[in-house]
Amino acid sequence: MNNEMEYVKNQSNYNKIVRTELLLMPILVIIPLIVGSLLIYDWYVRGLLKGSSLDYFGELLLGIIILFVNILFDIPFLKSLKELSKKKFEE
Amino acid sequence: MLKVADKIKNTKKRINSLDFDAHWYRRVFHAFGASFLYYYMLPDVSWVNILKFYIPPIIVVFAITLEALRLKGLISSDHFFGLRFYEKKRVGSYVFFAVAILILLRFFPQQIAIPCILCACLADPIIGEIRKRYGARYVYLPGFFICMLFFLISWYKADIRLMIIVSIIGGFSATFAETKKLWWLDDDFMIQMVPAVLILIIWISLPYFGFSYPDLIIYPAEMPW
Repeated sequence: MNNEMEYVKNQSNYNKIVRTELLLMPILVIIPLIVGSLLIYDWYVRGLLKGSSLDYFGELLLGIIILFVNILFDIPFLKSLKELSKKKFEE
Repeated sequence: MLKVADKIKNTKKRINSLDFDAHWYRRVFHAFGASFLYYYMLPDVSWVNILKFYIPPIIVVFAITLEALRLKGLISSDHFFGLRFYEKKRVGSYVFFAVAILILLRFFPQQIAIPCILCACLADPIIGEIRKRYGARYVYLPGFFICMLFFLISWYKADIRLMIIVSIIGGFSATFAETKKLWWLDDDFMIQMVPAVLILIIWISLPYFGFSYPDLIIYPAEMPW
């Protein structure tokens, strides 16, 4: 990996890292899932139930894509966060 | 003496293992940006419109202020988790990311803004992951098709010829903007603005070619009262 592409890190920020991540984790993980679900819900309520699902088909696709990609990245992120926290507590 | 050497070795190993974590943190941060599409779902009523007008610039000004303080050394870079070395003395990519999203939300029609925001929020981390796992030369084709998909979805209500043209131009320009790295202008900005400007030119010239404007993709929610 190119040195410039590496992350700025040092021993002193170890605790801050875990704290920042834990603080931001609910926002980063939950909000995109809510937005994706709302898009799908909107397609269902205003599109499918009212018989104009083609007009709202874009919302359905966007909702599915947002949910899928976010879950795809959330899983390894949460796993790494769990490992990091474990290391922190082992100290 | 041996114990100290071992301790240093272990500490180095532990610090290096954080690479993996910062890496996923950046990916999740990117993907989180797709939440800003909720902006288009907000109801079209006066008080909400006032909030829509003021809140996004306030967030961006806050990010710029934070970044200015960091660059001046008033806030330590240690607080900015996931920062890369090239960003230590340069404006962080999250500011470019936020500015581009603000410009798109404010000045571009949603048919242009939505796919461009998705390119930065979802295609960029996927391209990054492909680059990391398989190497830089394997990013072009998947990158192109992923970005193209976002334009296809966003323009599915347009004339089919227009949908194909916009998708090809959008997919190509977004991939090109992501892969060409400039030190002073981040790819998080380029991946959004390059396709947006090109598609805007097409958008403006639509009536001259006899095409009608495609309908909205995300409709504002209705107030329950």
